[in-house]
Amino acid sequence: MAEVRLVDIVKNYGAFTAVDHVSLTIADGEFVALVGPSGCGKTTSLNLVAGLIEQTAGDIFIGDRRVNGLDPKDRDIAMVFQNYALYPNKTVFKNLAFPLKMRKLPRADIDRKVRAAAKVLDIEHLLERRPRELSGGQQQRVALGRALVRDPRAFLMDEPLSNLDAKLRGQMRAELKRFHQDLHATVIYVTHDQLEAVTMADRMAVMNGGKLQQYDTPARVFSNPVNIFVAGFVGSPAMNLLYGLMEGANRVGRDGWAVELSAENAGRAARATGREVVLGARHSTIALHREHVAGAVPGRVYTVEPTGDVTFVHVRVAQTIVVVSVAPSVMLAIDDPVWLGFDQNKLHLFDGTTGDAL
Amino acid sequence: MRARVHGDRGWGIARVVFLALLTLFTLLPMVWMLLTSMKTQFAASQYPPEWWPRNVTFEQYFILLSPANETGREFLRYMFNSLWVSFATTVLSVMVAVPAAYAFSRFRFPGRNLLFYSVLLRNMFPAVVFLMPLFILMRWLHLVNTELSLILTYLTFGLPLSIWLLKGFYDNIPAQLEQAARIDGATRFQAFIQIVMPLSSPGIIATAIYSFILAWNEYVYALTFLNDKSKLTLPVGLQRFFTEYTTNWPGLMAASFITSVPVVVLFLVLQKYFVRALTEGAVKA
Amino acid sequence: MSVSTAAREPNVFARIVRHRADYLYIAPALGVMLLVIGYPIYDTIYLSFFNTPPSLAMADKIFVGTDNYVRILTSEAFLDVTINTLIWTAFSTFFAFALGLGAALALDRQFVGRGLLRGILLIPYVISAVAAAYIWRWLYHSDFGVIGALAVASGITDRPINFLDNVDTSLPSLIVVNVWKEFSFAMIMMLAGLQTVPEQLHRAAQVDGAGVFQRFWHITMPHLKGVTLVTVLLLLVANLNSFTIPWIMTAGGPAGSSDIWITAIYQLAFERIRFGVASAYSVILFVVMMSMGYFYVRALTGKDEATPG
Ligand SMILES: Nc1ncnc2c1ncn2[C@@H]1O[C@H](COP(=O)(O)OP(=O)(O)O)[C@@H](O)[C@H]1O
Ligand SMILES: [Mg+2]
Repeated sequence: MAEVRLVDIVKNYGAFTAVDHVSLTIADGEFVALVGPSGCGKTTSLNLVAGLIEQTAGDIFIGDRRVNGLDPKDRDIAMVFQNYALYPNKTVFKNLAFPLKMRKLPRADIDRKVRAAAKVLDIEHLLERRPRELSGGQQQRVALGRALVRDPRAFLMDEPLSNLDAKLRGQMRAELKRFHQDLHATVIYVTHDQLEAVTMADRMAVMNGGKLQQYDTPARVFSNPVNIFVAGFVGSPAMNLLYGLMEGANRVGRDGWAVELSAENAGRAARATGREVVLGARHSTIALHREHVAGAVPGRVYTVEPTGDVTFVHVRVAQTIVVVSVAPSVMLAIDDPVWLGFDQNKLHLFDGTTGDAL
Repeated sequence: MRARVHGDRGWGIARVVFLALLTLFTLLPMVWMLLTSMKTQFAASQYPPEWWPRNVTFEQYFILLSPANETGREFLRYMFNSLWVSFATTVLSVMVAVPAAYAFSRFRFPGRNLLFYSVLLRNMFPAVVFLMPLFILMRWLHLVNTELSLILTYLTFGLPLSIWLLKGFYDNIPAQLEQAARIDGATRFQAFIQIVMPLSSPGIIATAIYSFILAWNEYVYALTFLNDKSKLTLPVGLQRFFTEYTTNWPGLMAASFITSVPVVVLFLVLQKYFVRALTEGAVKA
Repeated sequence: MSVSTAAREPNVFARIVRHRADYLYIAPALGVMLLVIGYPIYDTIYLSFFNTPPSLAMADKIFVGTDNYVRILTSEAFLDVTINTLIWTAFSTFFAFALGLGAALALDRQFVGRGLLRGILLIPYVISAVAAAYIWRWLYHSDFGVIGALAVASGITDRPINFLDNVDTSLPSLIVVNVWKEFSFAMIMMLAGLQTVPEQLHRAAQVDGAGVFQRFWHITMPHLKGVTLVTVLLLLVANLNSFTIPWIMTAGGPAGSSDIWITAIYQLAFERIRFGVASAYSVILFVVMMSMGYFYVRALTGKDEATPG
C-alpha cells in the first residue's frame, strides 16, 4: 500500500474546468472519501489518479513515484466502478483472474489467488457463473474481488454502493470498512452520499464545482464546516440556514424574525465583510417551545415527520423552513404556533457575502 | 415477438391466405428453376411444358461440377474466383470497419458527425454512376482485369452499413469495461481485443455476412472491370454460359442454382445476424 | 482520446490537433471511401463537360461546356427514358412496400414455422440478381415459358404471351421480377419496426373497443412512420439504381420500352463509349439521388435528435 498525493491538479475540458487546483494527500492505509454533489468532479479526480485521463496541470504521486503520463496498467492501482464493469462474457472466475493474467502470473498462482479472494468475499460458489446470472450484491462482491486479487498500491472506488438497495448498502458499508481495517488499504472512495463518507472514512474531502472545499475527519467537517456549502452538504437532515442581516451590533434578523447573539457570537459576526450574516443550526441544537420564551423566534408548524426514534418538525419561520428534532412523544398539529430557541454555543455563523465560516 | 391480441376471425383467415399466396409467389420460380435443371435439354424445350420431369437427370450438375470437362473447369474457376473475391472483401471490410466504427462511437473528434454521415451517404450513390470514373481510375492504376479492383470497390459497398451497424454495438458497450481492463493491466489495444471485440462479435458476424453476400452477388462492376475469361466471377460467368449455350436452359438453371446455394445457406444459418444487419439503423428508436 | 461530449473549444484547429490520434482509426475507411467515391464524384462532374474519344485516351478529350447536358435534356429519348424510370421506380417501390408491409403484419405474431417462413420469403432478396434475372427469363420464355403455358392452360389467352419482347409488356414484366426480388427487404424492415410497437397500447385499445383496422391505423401506423420513411427511401434509391435485372432481361429493349436511366447510362458509356455524355447523365441522376440522400440522413438523424445519447 502507498500514499497517494495530488498536487495542484487541474483538468480542463475545452473551456470548462472540471477539476480546479485540487491538492490532496491520502496517507498510506488511509480511507478517504471524496464527496460532493453530482458533477462536481469526483469521478474526474479519481480517473486522473487511475490514469484513465490525463491532467491539464499538476502532479500525481503514488508512493514516491510521480505517475504523470503513466498508463493505468503501470500505476498499479485497483478500481471498483459504480456499475461494477464486470466483463459480461467471462465467468466470475475469469473476471477475477483477468488482472492476474494480464500480469502474466503462472496458472497455479492465479488459481490460488482467485480462490483466496473468492473465499474472503464468500463468492466461491459463484465462480463458474456469468455476471448476468448474479444479483446486484453478488456482482458488487465480484467487482470488489477483482480489485482484491492483486495487492495494488491503492484502491479507487467510484460510488460502488449506489446501485444497491438500502439494506444491502448498509451491510456492504460495514464490510468495506472491515476490509479496509483488515488490509490497511489505501482507499479513495467517491460518493455523493455524505452518510457513506461519514460512516466509513478516516477523512473526507468535500468538493464542489471542481474545487476542494474542506478536507478533514468527518467529525470535524460536521462540527466545523468551513463554509455554507459544506454546512449544507454534510449531515442529514441538512443544517438549518437562516439568511439574515445584522441589525445593530448583536442582532441578526430579517422580515419577521430576529436572533440576539451572545457576546462571543456578536464578535464573530462583526468580522463579516458586509451586513449579510447566515446563521446555521443543526436540528438537534434547537429547542422547540410551545409558548413564547424570551429570545426565541416565533414560527408555525409546517409538517411533522415521525421516524420512530425521533420526530422531525418542520417549522416555518418567515420565508424559511427550519427542521427541529423532538422526542416522539411530543404531539404537534399543523399550524400550531411554536417558538425556537437557538443554542448560542452551537450556533454556526457564516459571512453571507463570501459564504465562509466566521 | 409477442402473442398478439386476437383479431377477428376473418382477418385470421385473410392472413393465412395472404401468406400462402406470398409463399407460392416466392417459391414457385425457384421450384421451376430446380425442376428445369433436372430435365434434359430436350425435355425443357417442350410446349406445353413437362410440368414434372419425366426423366430426372443430374447431368447438368455433373458437367458443371466436374473438372474433367471444359465447361466444368470454367465453372469451377468462376466459383473459386467468386469465393476468393468475396472472402477477401469480407475480411478487409471487417478490418476497416471495426476501428472506424469504434472511433465514431468512442471519440469526439471534430468533424465526426460530418464524416459519419458522408460515409452513410454512400448508400445513396448508384453503382453505375461510379462505374466510368472508377474504370478510368482502375485503368490508370493498372488494376483492370484484376480481382483487386473488385475487392476495393466492394469494400466501399459494405462499409457504410458495416460501420453504422458496428457503431451501434460499440455504443452499447460501456466505456467503463475498457477502463476496468486497462486498470487490470491491459493496454488500450489489449482492452479492445480481449474485452470489446468479443462483445461485438454478433455485430462483426452480421457485418461479415452482409459484405460476403454483397460481394458474391455483385454484377455490374465485375462485368465492366473483368474481361479476361479466367478472372470472371460467377454472376458474370453465368452470363457467358447464357450467350455461349443459348438453348441450354437446364444448364443455366443448374448454374443459377449452384450460384445461389452458398448465399442461401449462409443466410439461412445466420439469418438473425443478417436481418439485424439490414434493419439495425432504420429502427433504432 | 476523450470520452463523452467535449465542451466546444474556440479553436477548431487546436481540437483537431488534440484529437489527431483519433483520426487514425477512421483513416483506412476514409481512405478507401475517398478513393472509390470522392475521386469518382469529382471525375464524373469533370468529364461531364468534355467530349471523350472512344479510345478513352483522356488526353484527347475536348472541352464542350454544357453541351452534353443540353444534348441529354433536349433529346426525345431522354423524356421516354425518364418516364420509364419513373414508372419503374414508383411501381416497384409501391408494390414492394405494400407486399412487404402486408407480409410483416401477417408475420407479426408467434406461430410455428414463423422463422422458417421469414427465411423462405427472404431468399429472393439474398440470391444474386443475375440468377433471379435468368430464372425469370426462363419463366417468361416466349416458347417454353411456364407462365405463358399456365396462361394458356387456364384459358386466359390462347397463345403464349411474349412478355419480354413486347413494348407493352416488357416494363411491367420487369417490375414483377423486381418486386419479387425486393419485397422481403421491406418486410423485414417493417417487421423490425413492428417490434417497437408497445403491446400494452394494443391491449388498451382493444379494451376501448377498437377493431383490427382501427388499431392498425391509430396505434401501429404512427409507430411505423420513421421506419416507413427510411424503408421507402432505401427502396426508391435501390430502384433508381437497378441495373442487373433490366440489363440481363431486356437490356432496355425492345425499342427502348424498358430503358431506364441506369441502363441508358451504361449503354452510352460502355457500348457507345461516350463517357462525356454518360457522365453528364450521371450527374443529373446524381443530383436527384443527393436530394433523396438529404432526406435519408434527415430521417436517420431526426430520430437521433429525439433521443439524444
Ligand atoms: N469527457 C468530458 N468532456 C467534457 N466534460 C466532461 C467530461 N467528463 C466529465 N465532464 C464534466 O466534468 C464535470 C465533472 O464530471 P464528473 O467528474 O463525472 O462528476 P461527478 O462528481 O458526478 O463524478 C461534469 O460537469 C461533467 O459534465
Ligand atoms: Mg461520478
